[in-house]
Amino acid sequence: MKTKPSSIQPALLKLLISIAGLLIVPLISQLNPVFIGIAFALLIWRYLTLSRPKLIPNKWLLLPLSLSLGFVVMKTFGMSFGRDASSSLLVILMGLKLLECHHQRDVQALIYLFFFVLITPFLFDQRILLALYALAIFFSLLFALIMNNTGSPILQRPALLKISGLILLQAIPLMLIFFVFFPRMIGPLWAMPDEHSAISGISDQITPGSIFNLALSDATAFRVRFKGRAPQQKDLYWRGPVFWDTDGKRWTLKPPTPASFKNAKTWPPSVKDYHYTLMMEPHQQVWLYALDSPAVAPKNARLNDDRQLVFAKKLSRNLSFELRSSISTPLLTLSPQDRQRALHLPASIQPRVLALAKKWRSKAKTNQHLIQQALEFYNTEFYYTLRPPSLGEYPVDEFLFDSKRGFCGHFASSFATLMRAAGIPARLVGGYQGGVYNTLGDFFTVRQADAHVWVEVWLQQQGWIRVDPTAAIAPNRIEHSINVSLQRLNGDVNFLLQPPEGFDQWALQFNSVIHSIDYYWQNAVLAYGPEKQLEFLSNVGIKDWSDMIVWLSIGSGLMIALTMTTVLLIQRSKLDPVQAAYLKLCKKLAKKAGERRPHETISQYFERISPYYPTKTDELKHIKKMYLKTRYGQQTANVLLELISRFRQ
Amino acid sequence: MALTLAQRLSFKRFIRGEPAQRQHIELNHRRIFILPNGAGLSLGLVILLMLVASINYNNSLGFIFTFLLAAAAQTSSFYSYKNLSGLIVSISQSSDCYVGENSHITIKLQDPQQRERWQLLASHLKQDHAFQLLGREENHIHLSIEPRQRGWYKAQTITLSSSFPLGIFRAWSPLLFEHAILVYPQAINHGLPLTFSQSGLGRVARSSRLTGSDDFLGLKPYQAGENYRHINWKALAAEKGFYSNEFSREQPSNIVLDWASCRDLVLEDKLSQLCYWVIQCEKKGHQYGLRLPGIDVQPSKGIQHQRRCLKELALYEN
Repeated sequence: MKTKPSSIQPALLKLLISIAGLLIVPLISQLNPVFIGIAFALLIWRYLTLSRPKLIPNKWLLLPLSLSLGFVVMKTFGMSFGRDASSSLLVILMGLKLLECHHQRDVQALIYLFFFVLITPFLFDQRILLALYALAIFFSLLFALIMNNTGSPILQRPALLKISGLILLQAIPLMLIFFVFFPRMIGPLWAMPDEHSAISGISDQITPGSIFNLALSDATAFRVRFKGRAPQQKDLYWRGPVFWDTDGKRWTLKPPTPASFKNAKTWPPSVKDYHYTLMMEPHQQVWLYALDSPAVAPKNARLNDDRQLVFAKKLSRNLSFELRSSISTPLLTLSPQDRQRALHLPASIQPRVLALAKKWRSKAKTNQHLIQQALEFYNTEFYYTLRPPSLGEYPVDEFLFDSKRGFCGHFASSFATLMRAAGIPARLVGGYQGGVYNTLGDFFTVRQADAHVWVEVWLQQQGWIRVDPTAAIAPNRIEHSINVSLQRLNGDVNFLLQPPEGFDQWALQFNSVIHSIDYYWQNAVLAYGPEKQLEFLSNVGIKDWSDMIVWLSIGSGLMIALTMTTVLLIQRSKLDPVQAAYLKLCKKLAKKAGERRPHETISQYFERISPYYPTKTDELKHIKKMYLKTRYGQQTANVLLELISRFRQ
Repeated sequence: MALTLAQRLSFKRFIRGEPAQRQHIELNHRRIFILPNGAGLSLGLVILLMLVASINYNNSLGFIFTFLLAAAAQTSSFYSYKNLSGLIVSISQSSDCYVGENSHITIKLQDPQQRERWQLLASHLKQDHAFQLLGREENHIHLSIEPRQRGWYKAQTITLSSSFPLGIFRAWSPLLFEHAILVYPQAINHGLPLTFSQSGLGRVARSSRLTGSDDFLGLKPYQAGENYRHINWKALAAEKGFYSNEFSREQPSNIVLDWASCRDLVLEDKLSQLCYWVIQCEKKGHQYGLRLPGIDVQPSKGIQHQRRCLKELALYEN
């Protein structure tokens, strides 16, 4: 079929330009501003051509322009074509295609491109608001597509809007079936270039002040829902990476070796265990956080000798884990190498530090006693603040004896150094402490602001024991949640000490609703990947791909049939009252006189049947007259409807 | 009308349509076919690309919108169907039709449901005619034809199609009507003199004849006593004999258009000439008859009579 290419209505073009603009908006904070700027410039150019057709570029301008823009993108990203490069290229392509959009066919291709661009922001961010935003754009794209295929003048738009809405609504059930049953595979299909996605949360090295950036962030690190009882707030230590090595300034991770999984044992279940589901946000790190201490490794993670859960690859998507943690710490032997490592002191250590440790050592009878002494020292001498003075060449020394102000990073690193100096093996543990309980959704939200660093010391007969010097200085930090908004406002620590009142209470409740919605969104939608799909579908007896495909076919078949019925039923019920009444009358008349043939007009039909109704001739004539009058708008429908309803055989 | 399985699956049904129908055809599920068109296949490709991207990044929202697009595309096919279904199509001939002349057939579209139907396309003989029916009960579409042969002209398949709403599915319905159009011979004046044969009633009623008109009609054999100024000198010079010019205002009441008067022409030209005369006579309001070998139409006039004569000419077989 050949349809002649027709020029595009200005209204459609305006719609397309605005949609293109809306498509770029969510990418503004993600892509190189240069490309965003170019894309918007192209859109503005196209907008100006609407009133000044002379500005429309011909192909001799467009071709070199496209080539050079493509070259700029290539130059910026190199040959590795990943998420950032392709998104940048797509938004520019959108602008160029708009400039070259003259016929119905071009619009069709352009809208296809829009559909593709629509899903690119999801590679950066999958929040529920963004999804709703995209849904609105999806609707306008359907509308634009319909407009492009009807050439509709303004008057018909409401009807076309209605059709786009109906198509969208009727598509949703089928989409859901595909979402649930379409077999997911663990991607990627091919290796994607490393995108430098923002690493969030605890990083792989710790300096005394490094937690500060997180303290002001309200972003969610992960969410936890306990099955059965939950521990107290002060026991919510979410254990992450373990730092063994220090150069006096920073603490770094022990590089993993195959041997680091050698001694990891799973602990037998006990009634005191905590069972919970943890939904991890993609943090681009290889470790998982778990309540101190994880008893078993979940699927696709392993437990190492440091009782840390690690993945084979960086976590770059939302995943949820079923975990079990145990409070009891088993006895473990410490190998001579590890003991040496956990006692190692940096060369830069200052005499004042060593002297303090020696003093404690000489006073204390046992290690426990020494630790107690140290904690008392912290409790009396130090001050918890997010705005400590900056430290110089010897941070531990300067902090302990001069500034005496700081937060968990300062306390933990100095404490571990002191322990080592006193001959107790010590290491640093990074993670989170606490979490905000959501009463509505019955889950804890652990935010970046809850990031925390503490110390583990090795004690004979007891193994690695958690010691948190921060708790000695600021028990509030451990017993209450952090009030991030106040912390942001003042720039210093703030806790939710008493239940908020008035507006704050409302704000808190509103927040908890938002967080609940977000929780279910994360849990049901974003974390629905290959693993979760198998787990979910195995509940209904679907165990593998082939089963999924069978169910997918059955489900979508049923859904398509259902949609078809609704679409066709809507058609039936769309008859107007006059027509409906008329058809009913015809049915009545047909009993004696035979069916009305589809092509017969009212005059022809009534003429044909009048011999069968000799007594009703006048009445029928009257009905006919009124029908035609009503049809041609000279009469309201009431009289006719009345007439028809009064008609008896 | 029930179809056998073989008929149902025959490829011809999808292109040419079902056996021709005498009257109206109602478009229903049996008559309407839907397949993705070129734009639809490209959309399929785009959906596939979106799917690959979603799989590659394990992106749940990517999956959701990819599936939503696919589902919307699927759903739209019902609207493509709905855009055609329920229409009642019938065919009629709206004007007389002569060989080699542009003419048209008219299809009448009725919509008992009075729904809005967008972007319909009636295709016939590789010509497309776009239209819409917006809640109107009736619409007439003229499709032009240019027949090359006189006689019964069978209407070809008329395809009603639409790619509404998204432009990705083409719903079409091939319609074949039994309706045949009578094609008259081409009306050509070969310059032959119009001879007046004797009809049963006698030739000319002199009383109605007027002189001195300049509306030239044809030639007739010269009769003694006629005005010498009416003698056709050209014919005389060509040694054809005495003919006098016949003018329209000289109204003979009865003319018989005779096959025999065009004996020098080949068959089709004879018919063309006679056709021309029939039209001219009717236009001028003469009483005329037609005489073909084996056929004799009594003189009369009026549109019915003209049709009858033209029909004889159209269907004349040697």
